[in-house]
Amino acid sequence: MTSIIRSVRRMKAVFFARNLEYLRDRASFGWNLVFPVLIVFALALVFSGPPRALFTVTAVASDSLPELLEFPGIETISMNRNKALDRLSRQQTDLVVEVVEDSVRYWVNGNSASGAILELLLKYTEPRPLERGETDGEAIRYVDWVVPGILGMNMMYSALWGVGYVVVRYRQAGYLRRLRATPLTKFEFLSAQVLSRLLVTLTASAIVFVGTNLILDYRMVGSLGLLFLIALVGGLAMITLGLAIACRTESKEFADGLLNAITFPMLLLSGVWFSLDGSPDWVQAIAQVLPLTHLLDAARAVMLDNAGLADITSHLAILLGFCIVGMGLSIKLFKW
Amino acid sequence: MPEVILSVTSLEKSYDDVKAVAGLDFEIEKGECFGLLGPNGAGKSTTLAMLEGMEDPTRGAVQYYGGPLPSDYQTRVGIQFQATALQDFLTPYDNLKLFSSFYDHPVPMDKLIDQFRLQEFLHRDSRHISGGQRQRLLLALALVHNPEIVFLDEPTTGLDPRSRRDLWDVVSALKADGRTLILTTHYMEEAEVLCDELVILSHGKTLLQGAPQQLIADACVSDLDTLFLSLTGETLVKTQEVIE
Repeated sequence: MTSIIRSVRRMKAVFFARNLEYLRDRASFGWNLVFPVLIVFALALVFSGPPRALFTVTAVASDSLPELLEFPGIETISMNRNKALDRLSRQQTDLVVEVVEDSVRYWVNGNSASGAILELLLKYTEPRPLERGETDGEAIRYVDWVVPGILGMNMMYSALWGVGYVVVRYRQAGYLRRLRATPLTKFEFLSAQVLSRLLVTLTASAIVFVGTNLILDYRMVGSLGLLFLIALVGGLAMITLGLAIACRTESKEFADGLLNAITFPMLLLSGVWFSLDGSPDWVQAIAQVLPLTHLLDAARAVMLDNAGLADITSHLAILLGFCIVGMGLSIKLFKW
Repeated sequence: MPEVILSVTSLEKSYDDVKAVAGLDFEIEKGECFGLLGPNGAGKSTTLAMLEGMEDPTRGAVQYYGGPLPSDYQTRVGIQFQATALQDFLTPYDNLKLFSSFYDHPVPMDKLIDQFRLQEFLHRDSRHISGGQRQRLLLALALVHNPEIVFLDEPTTGLDPRSRRDLWDVVSALKADGRTLILTTHYMEEAEVLCDELVILSHGKTLLQGAPQQLIADACVSDLDTLFLSLTGETLVKTQEVIE
């Protein structure tokens, strides 16, 4: 029997044992399915109705902005032109303005009533020459926008706790020491944990995705295959991050603290609940080093904007980088 | 002449400033039941871990048939750890299947189920079996690959008297099978019943070594506990009571 066949056999055994443990732990299994569904429905209820009553204007960074932007009831945020126009096409903003020398360029979404009103107001209030641009695109409901966030958040929790916390629990209970006294190698054990959790995470996400979409009919205009690829690579990135945390940690309490310290910034800064567009540059810079940000940006690009593989390559590459670093660190530093 | 299967020379193990094992020398013959005795902190478990190949000595060496431990040593030994949790929600059957899959030629599961009388709780969640049943399961897992040497780290600690005697029967059967057994225990009576040869440790050093009956006869005492008391001024039973 070759060593590869032996290795695969041992990995398979640990993989199935872990799956069995998870499936029989009905509380955890149920929670992984029920929790995200509850959040999706709760938010759909809270944010039902038209997307926004307030006018939002996005200013492409420049001085001497139109007087209109100082009117009460108008919220102004700043960002670069391409991002601003993307937001306009999704009706996440009502008007985009840019001051170029002595004239004012502005863009409206042809399908937006708010944009039409703001355009009229701008014409009445702005003394400088105006240059008009137009985009189109349907409004994105909050539920359309937040669903990828919730699915990603659920993947993050499932991956980080399902691997990180469990491995530390195994270690603290002496189970890893028991496994060490067998021919099972570190690589086989870690790979089995990764594959088992990946299967669980992807299955749970797929069930939640299909189940909630049947009822809420949220926006999914891109390729399902591409979305699966994002979930696969993103899930792997999260799982290997969890393993890296667990590779030497001996206390469940410490692991709990570490996992919270990692998940909390992602929950806050990766755009799970709200967009970070318009937030300070340093916040956006921090967000870019978090794997959940890239998972969500890529998923939203596919689900909401029909992005292709080329559009999300940079996100996938960063997530793959997390996988390689996480798995490498785990194998190098893992202690039974 | 019986063959020496394991030998230790000048064995030492230190953790930072603490010397857990401070220079041990002994030999273990093939097919015998060898006991490591001593109170908590005597260095029994550390010595056992080095014999198992789970820990490297700080100084000295453990030899297998006179040579270094082979790379496949883990397939030649079976270990029942003092405190081992199993995966939650798995049954004894699931655990036997899992551990069998780690080896090329595992013992047929039916044989282990009969030998260790696992049938009555074979499909029960492992978290809900009794201490005695759990020890029998752990012993079955340690023997799933038919090892040459079996290590038992305080196999009866925490068991009621009946379960303890029950396990003695299982260990005696393994001994009759010609297997080399190495066990640590707090219980002098257990050592007297099961061990052919033993080492009494204190503070990482050998206090006494020999066959139990010979040690008792040489010291002109009634049992090992009295002998231990005369050597150290404390009894192992008391130590055990404190632990429990």
